[in-house]
Amino acid sequence: MTPLTAFTLLAAALFAMGLYAVLARRNLIAMLIGIELMLNAASLNALAFGRYGALVDVDPALAAVSGQLLALFIIGLAAAEAAIALAIILAVHRHRQSVDVDALDTLQG
Amino acid sequence: MSVVTLVLMALCLLGALVAVSVRDIVHAIFGLATALLALAGLFTTLGSPFVGAMEVLIYVGGISVAMIFAVMLSPQAGKGLRETPARRFGAAVIAALFFAGTGLALLNDTPVADSPEAPGVFAPAALGHALLGDWLIAFEVLSLVLLLAIIGAVLIAVREAPARDPAAPQNSQAATGEKVAP
Repeated sequence: MTPLTAFTLLAAALFAMGLYAVLARRNLIAMLIGIELMLNAASLNALAFGRYGALVDVDPALAAVSGQLLALFIIGLAAAEAAIALAIILAVHRHRQSVDVDALDTLQG
Repeated sequence: MSVVTLVLMALCLLGALVAVSVRDIVHAIFGLATALLALAGLFTTLGSPFVGAMEVLIYVGGISVAMIFAVMLSPQAGKGLRETPARRFGAAVIAALFFAGTGLALLNDTPVADSPEAPGVFAPAALGHALLGDWLIAFEVLSLVLLLAIIGAVLIAVREAPARDPAAPQNSQAATGEKVAP
């Protein structure tokens, strides 16, 4: 097994666990944990492909820098997303005294 | 692959497993922090210690701590909710199908396996030159997004504080009503 395959398999496992958390958990913070796991799987893929997966006619250093920058952008966007999500969770808790996803059915009609 | 890489991979999987399966939210956050620390180590073994350091600073030092603060500020958020077994089973089936499909595709088809390997470790200076060169627009847009996220988070978390106590306007109304009634 090449290192690239190992790293992408690890990223797939992380993404699958995050997907499970988003689908199965009822607590909003637990769902946010799942989303963070999926984002980290994506940045692990970016770094692994930047290190091992450069095409033959591409400068390896350029590919590695691009992979690292993609991972840095993902981390920055994840920080913004987590700040917004935690603020929403606090607002929901203030209004509903609960963070149960199943209880948030006001718009269901 | 070195032993360190394998150990870090196992630690990452273990932490993620704890993060998604434990019912207590604080324990799940600690599992997430473990997985992210191991992931930062993996980033370092992949030749980018700067991204690993940012991972530790932003994820472990920022997002995990913010989650802990959210749990402390909202007591209900720390309580794990009991999911039905059918729900867990359905989600596990979907996630396992995703992993099986992706894993089979990865194992069967490795078109880039023989690509040249990049040199070992990169100085952050190259990242800085690229950020302020080719990627300048994306860099500035990201800073704008972060600014808007900060403002939005403050607005969402703070603005509705006066409406938090629904009894207050009713009391004042009742008081004026009592004044009018006699």
